[in-house]
Amino acid sequence: MADIRIVRLAKLLVEYCVEVQAGDRVVVTGSTLAEPLMLALQREILHAGGHPHLMPNFPEADYIFYSEANEDQLKYISPFGVMAYTEFEAIVQLMSSANTKVLNNIDPARQGIHMKAMTPLMKTYMDRAASKNLKWAITMFPTQAFAQDAEMSLSEMEDFVYAATFADTEDPVGAWHRIHDEQERYVEWLAGKEDVVVKGPNVDLKLSIKGRAFINADGVDNMPSGEIFTSPIEDSVEGTIRFTYPAIQGGREVEGVELTFEKGEGVKATAKKNEAFLLEMLKLDEGARVAGEFAIGTNKRIDRFTKNILFDEKIGGTIHMALGAGFKEIGSKNESGLHWDMICDMHDGGQIFVDGELFYESGEFKI
Amino acid sequence: MTDQRLANLARILVEYSTAVRPGDHVAILTQPIAMPLVEEIYRQVLAAGGYPYVQLGGLRSRVETENLEYLLFTEGSEDQIQHVNRFEKIIREEFEVLIALYSESNTRGLSNVDPTRQRLRAKAYSEVTRVYQQRSATRDLRWAITLFPTQAYAQDAEMSLDEFSDYVFQTTFADREDPIAAWLELRAEQQKLVDRLKGKKRLEVKGPNIDLTLTIEGRDFINSDGTHNMPSGEIYTSPVENSANGWVRFTYPAIRQSREVEGIELKFEHGQVVKASAEKNQDFLINMLDTDPGARYLGEFAIGTNKRINRFIKNILFDEKIGGTIHMAVGFGFPEVGGVNESAIHWDMICDMRDGGQILADGELIYESGEFLF
Repeated sequence: MADIRIVRLAKLLVEYCVEVQAGDRVVVTGSTLAEPLMLALQREILHAGGHPHLMPNFPEADYIFYSEANEDQLKYISPFGVMAYTEFEAIVQLMSSANTKVLNNIDPARQGIHMKAMTPLMKTYMDRAASKNLKWAITMFPTQAFAQDAEMSLSEMEDFVYAATFADTEDPVGAWHRIHDEQERYVEWLAGKEDVVVKGPNVDLKLSIKGRAFINADGVDNMPSGEIFTSPIEDSVEGTIRFTYPAIQGGREVEGVELTFEKGEGVKATAKKNEAFLLEMLKLDEGARVAGEFAIGTNKRIDRFTKNILFDEKIGGTIHMALGAGFKEIGSKNESGLHWDMICDMHDGGQIFVDGELFYESGEFKI
Repeated sequence: MTDQRLANLARILVEYSTAVRPGDHVAILTQPIAMPLVEEIYRQVLAAGGYPYVQLGGLRSRVETENLEYLLFTEGSEDQIQHVNRFEKIIREEFEVLIALYSESNTRGLSNVDPTRQRLRAKAYSEVTRVYQQRSATRDLRWAITLFPTQAYAQDAEMSLDEFSDYVFQTTFADREDPIAAWLELRAEQQKLVDRLKGKKRLEVKGPNIDLTLTIEGRDFINSDGTHNMPSGEIYTSPVENSANGWVRFTYPAIRQSREVEGIELKFEHGQVVKASAEKNQDFLINMLDTDPGARYLGEFAIGTNKRINRFIKNILFDEKIGGTIHMAVGFGFPEVGGVNESAIHWDMICDMRDGGQILADGELIYESGEFLF
């Protein structure tokens, strides 16, 4: 008998996130460390009438691949992967690293060769996901590696993950439906609004959301979730923001990031640590200096920073902005190879005004 | 057939570091994950005629695996936390040899444990610790400590486990055909340095990150040649307590209790830290320096010599020996070299010297840009 919370998380993924139907082919990816959750998924997918395909990977296998493969091998695409992405009805990804820094010393150019070869397949994947022909979800199976990054013991990390996903409650599916409904109220209220002003000890910013709907991130794709997000009008962002949590990109932490926007463009960027890396990233392409996302985290059970963006961007009482690519489905025009989320705490008196009305204060919605 | 390098590391520990003799009681302390190395050490101890005792209890732990230690601190009563494990007591009071293998699965597993409970346990063990240190000083107890590569250490080092294992076996010379000869060579090399420094009185340390003077009169350097720490490669002493004057900026983060303090700058007057700042976690630094009066004085000045240790991996067993660096510890000094500074802490901080740093002994330039000049 496994940890009941693992069983509930598996049920949640199958019933709520990817809604497995009879006959659905479902691929489950993750490391061998995720065996307990993978086996629970095997059971739940079968219960739902689907066809489970477990694809566990050994923790060091990717490292050996990127270290040893020649160029031809780097460009090779697994026909199993092709079949899953182009034909299957559902994909469930389990983040389950044994070592979050395992690829840090791999030449990024070699990873680039593989990613480039994967591009057409990723496009198919995203197109099928957008048209709902492919249902997908990503979650975390807690490991020592994630616990270490979060500065917790493994049992503390397990408690944190299962609380954030509501797998520690008797009816997680019901809990996520309630979150959906609550967030839908904010999203509907925001529909048709235009001017957003964000104020607080760390932020003094205005931006336009004219014609840009907020999306209700209700745990269907990301588990856990708990945020509403949009892409602001590209040239509308004006003002300054200091991100209160480290911004992490490619394993590197940039601390104390402060950005000043003029006409939508980040014209000034400073950081207390790794500023050079921040400036380098902003030079990546034209779109990298433009905010592609403005979002509000709502998950009160995510109450601490764990150096993992799946969780951190949903911390209840924070906002986040991403530099780089915006969301096409919302109407964003900003394109970039970058989409870098940065988080700012709002608990400490932060306010959001929408068309002049107080919408949010100190981490709480006011409507 | 196991990785030959594990067998070599076991040989170094048993033959060289602790020189196990027939009849020696040898405790091997570690966690289950390190069993491949334990088996090799066990084999070597048998070959040397000793009696191997394997205790699957981590070293931080003094209990068993780190998960059990976590349970003890979070669920144990005060009485249970202060209970001294009888096996641990016998090992430290009676055994001839102790070999400890760091082998954590999560280097931050105790981050949220109440430090006062940890201090309670440390205090309960103070008598055992005292006997251990005394028996160690007289060589009645020969001990060595090394690290068995795990994913947790690899992650801290920002490496794959494969890369990290290579690093551990290279820096301990376990990848050499004759690792013991390599350590004897390092010992001889460092002995020359120690002998040349004997009788010197005044050190001046200069460079882009340091401008400091120290007195080492009557304080011999110790040749740290891998008989306790594996790997080693440093020479160290305790400077005269009231002698440090000047300024230093430590170029690597200083780590203590899972906390990284970055960009530390210290200013010394008559041996005492009179000004301290840091770019990150400055409050923690000041807090540590205020532990007790001795925490603001230097207990150690040392020079790292291991050229195979060439990168910072957030593990002091390795980092303080980086060839071309110096390190200093605030807190307690070494009685065996005449150090009299007492403190509850001993916190090593490392400064790179490869960038034009110089050391002058009684006015003579003896070290420049990471190299000794004699």
